[in-house]
Amino acid sequence: MSDTPSHAPVRSIMPKWVRGPQDFVGGIALMAIAVFALWASSDLQGMHGFSFGAGTAPRMFAGLLLGLGFAVTVVGVVTEGAHLATYAWRGPLFVSLSILSFSLTIRPLGLVVSAFASFMIAALGTPETRWRETIIVGICLTVGCSLLFPYALGLPLQLFPRFLVQ
Amino acid sequence: MADLFSNLALGFGVAFSPINLLLCLIGALVGTLVGVLPGIGTIATVAMLLPITFGLPPVGALIMLAGIYYGAQYGGSTTSILVNIPGEATSVVTTLDGFQMAKQGRAGPALAIAAIGSFFAGCVATVLIAVLGAPLTKLALAFGPAEYFSLMVLGLIFAVVLAKGSVLKAIAMIVFGLLLSMVGSDIETGASRMAFNIPELADGLGFATVAMGVFGFAEIIRNLDAGAEMDRDLVQQKITGLMPTKKDLKDSFPAILRGTALGSILGILPGGGAVIASFAAYTLEKKIAKDPSRFGRGAIEGVAAPESANNAAAQTSFIPLLTLGIPPNAVMALMVGAMTIHGIVPGPQVMQKQPELVWGMIASMWIGNLMLIIINLPLVGIWVRLLRVPYRLMFPSIVIFCAIGIYSINNAPVDVVLAGAFGLLGYWLIKHDFEPAPLLLGMVLGPLMEENLRRALLISRGDWTVFLTRPLSAVLMATAAFLLVLALLPSLRKKRDEVFVESET
Repeated sequence: MSDTPSHAPVRSIMPKWVRGPQDFVGGIALMAIAVFALWASSDLQGMHGFSFGAGTAPRMFAGLLLGLGFAVTVVGVVTEGAHLATYAWRGPLFVSLSILSFSLTIRPLGLVVSAFASFMIAALGTPETRWRETIIVGICLTVGCSLLFPYALGLPLQLFPRFLVQ
Repeated sequence: MADLFSNLALGFGVAFSPINLLLCLIGALVGTLVGVLPGIGTIATVAMLLPITFGLPPVGALIMLAGIYYGAQYGGSTTSILVNIPGEATSVVTTLDGFQMAKQGRAGPALAIAAIGSFFAGCVATVLIAVLGAPLTKLALAFGPAEYFSLMVLGLIFAVVLAKGSVLKAIAMIVFGLLLSMVGSDIETGASRMAFNIPELADGLGFATVAMGVFGFAEIIRNLDAGAEMDRDLVQQKITGLMPTKKDLKDSFPAILRGTALGSILGILPGGGAVIASFAAYTLEKKIAKDPSRFGRGAIEGVAAPESANNAAAQTSFIPLLTLGIPPNAVMALMVGAMTIHGIVPGPQVMQKQPELVWGMIASMWIGNLMLIIINLPLVGIWVRLLRVPYRLMFPSIVIFCAIGIYSINNAPVDVVLAGAFGLLGYWLIKHDFEPAPLLLGMVLGPLMEENLRRALLISRGDWTVFLTRPLSAVLMATAAFLLVLALLPSLRKKRDEVFVESET
């Protein structure tokens, strides 16, 4: 993960006393997760006698995470550290959309349509995409997967849209 | 001793059946194929290919998965040498001298030595597994819940100490993983925990789902960031003269021996694994070399030692899994996932109840290594051509392949969405310099730890000192505490950082 600490002069939105924004934000986020987990497991039964209830271990780990998150935050305040890395929007957005479209369409539309459409959406994730070759590769991949998963591996995948099959 | 031979004979009998040989071959080939692709590490490879083993019988599935694992390992070193892109973390150090050798037109010998070193290490490690397997299993039977819990604590601490970067953040990631493992149903009471009434979460988060997210999808997204910067300065000249010279062999032989020894030891330790083994082997070679300045300029020992070490470690890391049922690293954690899907609970019982499974897998490792050396040297040309496939075409294919893979585990679209969410989480973790590997390890060990903690406390009637009063458990806990203190000491920290910095220069 060598590219993580980007040393580009990022406009800092952090107050001056935060010396390592990367750890500071990371620690706070961990604490937030821990608090969320504490809330989510608050309705579970705790210790009774000396046997654990369902909620004991989750709360224990959440408590630990809260403490560790706090420690990471403190490290972010006290020691000089990396700036916040810059996020790209294009890759994450289209890869997520592609995954989402796959999961929404695989049941009703079947593998062929779903895989091809998601391939095209994922390809939007980079400006370098050249459409003609992408379409060709997309078709090849779809055909390959349609042969590999249901036939060669015997997995129960539906290939074509439901309304066509019935 | 007689046991050992009869066990091995049983194993080879299983592994040499035509169908298992074929599965081993396919596994090694596919593993290499995916391992060669830059940006997809061993963990992602195994996670990605996990679904294709579902339809197989358990022995075949495990043999194939093991093949995929060391195939991926070997594929990573091929790209390190030829194009200076380590396919995985384990082959980062191989780039230092391997790529220099390739530039000098000695790619052939470098690849050959890497393969020979790996094969030798594989042979030694296979024997080691066979020898250590039975006695360790006996030891495992003496373990009670308190010992198991302490052992897992020790393993996690090892993972932290040997991981790259901040100790504190690595521990935080482990605890985060433990917390994630709590999602789902409680083992004893069956109460639904943090599942928010989502039926797909009732069984907990799948390892494969999380692994594919934080390793597969997150890596893709991160590589897209880098975008056009990912230029690949390929070694364009033809690879001629595959065979190493006599001098090469003479130079590299002791290095292979040392690498194998170091790798075997580090592999057995929980949390250790192949990455640290290759770094340590390289550092050792550099330390004891008569002329350390040759390193980084194409010294053949700099390829031989780390390659042998990572392969040895990759294989010996099966020992804790097969004997104690405790996965020492993230890849082994995925193997546990695969075993569970096939209804096998890893641990000492497996070795006794299903010897053909365990010994078949061990024997197939040796066969797999032999296959790697036979198939890969002639196929180097094809692997190089594969690298010329531009990333803009490769990444959508990987996304789709992963998506289909996750979907096919449970036929659940929600799993795909979850993996996507974990992909974004993984991207965020990378951006904040949190390592995802300890997270996965924590997630796998979570339920085991909880169960053993509960049992230990129940048996001791709520007495927390049980972990310190039982001698074996106390030793394990003391070792863990000692290691943690060591890791936090400034002097050792500096050394540890040095080892890792070396890889980035």
